[in-house]
Amino acid sequence: MRKSLTRYLIRRGLESIVLVWLSTVIAFSVYQLAPGGPLQFLDNNPKRTAADFTRLTAFYGLNRPVLVQFLAWLTGDDWFSILPGGQAWQSGQCATSPDRCGHGVLRLDFGRSFYFQGVPVTTVIAQRIPATALLGLSSLLLSVLAGVPSGVFAALKRGRWPDHFVRVSSVLVNTVPEWWIGLLLLIILGGYLGLVPLGGMQKIGGGGVLDLLHHLALPAVVSAIGGWIGISRIIRFEMLDVLNQDYVRTARAKGLAEQTVIVRHVLRNALMPFVTGLSGIFLLFLSGSILFELVFSWPGMGRLAVEAINARDYPVMMGLFVISSFLGIVGVLMVDILYSIVDPRVKYEL
Amino acid sequence: MTEASISTVRPTVKPAGRAKERTYWGAVVAKLARDKIAVAAICGLVFMISITLAAPWLTHNVLGFDPESTDLRHRNAPPTWAATAWPLFQQFSTTCQAGQGGCRWSLWGTILSDAATGVGQCFSAGLGNCHWMGTDDAGRDVFSRGLYGGRISLRIGAYVAGLTMTVGVLMGLISGYYAATIIDDLVNAIIQTLGSIPLLFLLITLSRIFQPGPEGLSFLIGIFGWMGVSRLIRGQIFSIREREYIIASRALGASTWRIMTRHMLPNVASIVIVIGVFNVAGAIIAEASLSYLGVGIGPPLASWGNMMQGSLGNFTDAPWLVLAPGLFIFATTLCIYLIGDGLRDALDPWVR
Repeated sequence: MRKSLTRYLIRRGLESIVLVWLSTVIAFSVYQLAPGGPLQFLDNNPKRTAADFTRLTAFYGLNRPVLVQFLAWLTGDDWFSILPGGQAWQSGQCATSPDRCGHGVLRLDFGRSFYFQGVPVTTVIAQRIPATALLGLSSLLLSVLAGVPSGVFAALKRGRWPDHFVRVSSVLVNTVPEWWIGLLLLIILGGYLGLVPLGGMQKIGGGGVLDLLHHLALPAVVSAIGGWIGISRIIRFEMLDVLNQDYVRTARAKGLAEQTVIVRHVLRNALMPFVTGLSGIFLLFLSGSILFELVFSWPGMGRLAVEAINARDYPVMMGLFVISSFLGIVGVLMVDILYSIVDPRVKYEL
Repeated sequence: MTEASISTVRPTVKPAGRAKERTYWGAVVAKLARDKIAVAAICGLVFMISITLAAPWLTHNVLGFDPESTDLRHRNAPPTWAATAWPLFQQFSTTCQAGQGGCRWSLWGTILSDAATGVGQCFSAGLGNCHWMGTDDAGRDVFSRGLYGGRISLRIGAYVAGLTMTVGVLMGLISGYYAATIIDDLVNAIIQTLGSIPLLFLLITLSRIFQPGPEGLSFLIGIFGWMGVSRLIRGQIFSIREREYIIASRALGASTWRIMTRHMLPNVASIVIVIGVFNVAGAIIAEASLSYLGVGIGPPLASWGNMMQGSLGNFTDAPWLVLAPGLFIFATTLCIYLIGDGLRDALDPWVR
């Protein structure tokens, strides 16, 4: 491996670590800044008393200095006891129930949910991951399956109807909210024609694989629309770029069949950067779409985010925020690394 | 040489036809005026803006409804012109459900004729007797709320575009001018940080926590939306910063500020205008999405997004709650988008 590449990879890795740390800082400070403080969720409970506030403040250690709270959230406060006088900095729950003493975000402990009655945040989030992953993966698959051929077609038939189709649909995607298209399709296909269910992931009581696919079809198609249009535009651009290259002219000049030129010389070179990037895009899809999950009542992480935000469930919100930024940052890092390994022309300087 | 020969006025050559002087902006306007789609889009946008500006007058004198007065006896009522056609349509749609033995297409004759007579009656119904787009879940007139909602949505669009363009252009200018210095690195770091966190999530959280009004919401949307603009401007500035005229003016002792504003900014003006126009459309959609999630503009104020929020539970029974605000959004953003498209072509007037 070339020296500059190694240096680039190390630099990007360090940058990503800093970015993840920054996202934890942002997550923590946003919820600290919130008027009313983290215990505001108590306002929803009519039976609360002033004593509850003092008890919970001590229990969660909210009376400690902000920096100590941040450190405790990030690294856990169970190890504070080894410091001289560190026990004073631990939250109340460490003294009363040592098993609930925090392990910190670094050890994948985001604390316990306020709203879901003390269930660990990681459990709450983990329950939602399969649904989000299923929807994200299938819409990614659909958008690639539809986007690549339509992009190739648009480039090959430049200025004719496939090209116009891609252009007009990209106007459409830019001028209406995509979730609105989903809502309309849901009304027509689900409400009036009864072809698809009106929401959710399964029949009540659960169904088989077919039932799951039945529920998945419309959400996956609708959330694939944006990706489909985006991918076909990228592919069209890459194709047109490659079609103008000298080696394509050479291939044609030496008398290769047009099909061979397109498949062997153009497609291979046009698709390579795209395929490389796909692995990272996949991670981006994992953090889920808040809007689509809300429209289709899909029980994933995006919907959990809305529920948590509405209930002011700060531990869950912070956990989701950190996890989805982490997925995004790692995704971008993977794209960058794979690009630089696959394409020797990429420069490592900014 | 005599005095006369000096004072003799040389016969002026009359120009064959005076060449029309064309400035850059003149050419842009001329090209835009020839673009039929762009002209239609401009007319459409002017129309949307004027009906929303005239909303208080229109709702009071033409429609006869107050957008905030509720009428609990007419909740989720269909458009008045479809009062008889709507139950027929519902009947039709139940026959279309799977396992009902196929659609009864014969109903459509009655549906259409009923709707047509309904529209006729609606025109002559007089003030306050016709809900053109039905009523919402509190019995408020959807059309007048749509007009009022447009005031908020368009205002937010303009504010956000203004903010993103100001911050984005400023950051882009600075980081492009000071490229590869610590200032550039700092701006890039901010952009990279903002680009790697889930912004929609952050936006929802912040607007849920602070519950801002239209101005606050535009500030939130704008402050997280300038990164793309900044990147683009930086690239442009970077490519012109070593041009001869920049070096020349620096050699003449022009200040940094002067070089930036007089020599660099005009060179990126066309790009700034085009992205600014597209940003308005993007901001309108962003506001609609946030308000739809219930964290943007809150009731009793109407916005195109929060009008749809009321439809969450009953969208199949009252599809006009989804359709009407969506069409308002679509009409506006389509016009804006097409204007942006036309401008993009027109601002490169020498390319034909």
